[in-house]
Amino acid sequence: MSSSTREEVLRHLNTVGLLQPALHQQTHAPAPTEIDHTLYRAYTRTPHDVGGEPDVPIVYHEKEEEIWELNTFATCECLAWRGVWTAEERRRKQNVDVGQTVYLGMPYYGRWLMTAARILVDKQYVTLTELHNKIVELKERAKSGKGLGEYLPAKTK
Amino acid sequence: MSHKPVYDRTHHAKLATGIGDPQCFKGMAGKPKFKEGDRVRIKDLPDLFYTRTMTYTRGAVGTIVRLVYESPAAEDEAFGNEDHPEWFYSIVFTQKELWPEYSDSFSNDTVETEIPERYLEQA
Repeated sequence: MSSSTREEVLRHLNTVGLLQPALHQQTHAPAPTEIDHTLYRAYTRTPHDVGGEPDVPIVYHEKEEEIWELNTFATCECLAWRGVWTAEERRRKQNVDVGQTVYLGMPYYGRWLMTAARILVDKQYVTLTELHNKIVELKERAKSGKGLGEYLPAKTK
Repeated sequence: MSHKPVYDRTHHAKLATGIGDPQCFKGMAGKPKFKEGDRVRIKDLPDLFYTRTMTYTRGAVGTIVRLVYESPAAEDEAFGNEDHPEWFYSIVFTQKELWPEYSDSFSNDTVETEIPERYLEQA
C-alpha cells in the first residue's frame, strides 16, 4: 500500500471525526434563572492539575526543555526563596487565575513566566507601568539589533 | 510618601527559611482528629476559587495510611494565609470506589493521595 493511500485514509478518518454531530446549545448570556446548581458548579469550577476529568485523547510529545524554560523555572524558584510567593500561590495564579482557555492553550512554561510577572505586579514589587515600559524598551533594543543581553547556553545535564 | 498598604510580603520566608515547608508548621495543628487505619469519607466542601481536593474523591470512602504533615490547607495557602495549619492525611482508595465503571478484573487497584483534615469525616 502506497504512503499516499495511507495519507488519504488517515486524512479521511480525521475529517470524518470533525463531521461527527455535536450538541449545539446556546451558552452565551443566559438568564439568571437558567443557571441551576449543576451549571453554577460547572461554571465556577477552577482549572487544576489534579486530574480526573474526561477529555479526548491527545498525542504525547517528548520535549527537551529549552533555555528560556529552565530560566523561567529558576526565576520562579528564586521568587519562592525570597518569600514573594509559595508554591500554592503560584499554582493558583498559573492554573486558576488565567482561566481554562489559557490554562489548556498556553505552553506550560509560558504560564509560569506570565505568572512570575503577574505576582510582581499584584504584590506591588513593580508597577504595571514599569513593566510595560520595560517591555517597550526591550522591544526597541531587540529591533536595533543590539541583543537583549547576555544569553548563556544551557550546561549539559 | 508612599500610600501602599502595609503588608509583610516576606512573612512566609521568615517562617520557613532554614527550616523548610511544611516542616515550619510542625506542632501547630494540634491533636489530629483521625489516626492510621481509620475509614473516612471525603466531604464535598465548596470548591469556589481554589481547592486541591480532587473532585473524584468527594463522597468516596478511603483508608488513612499515614499522617503526613501539618500545613495550611491549599484554600488558605493559595492566598498567602498561613495562620491555621491542619493535619494532612495520606488516604488510599480503591479505584473501583472512585470510578464505578472500573473493570472488576483490576479490583485490587488503588490510588493514594493527600487530603487535609477539614475534608474528612468518620465513615
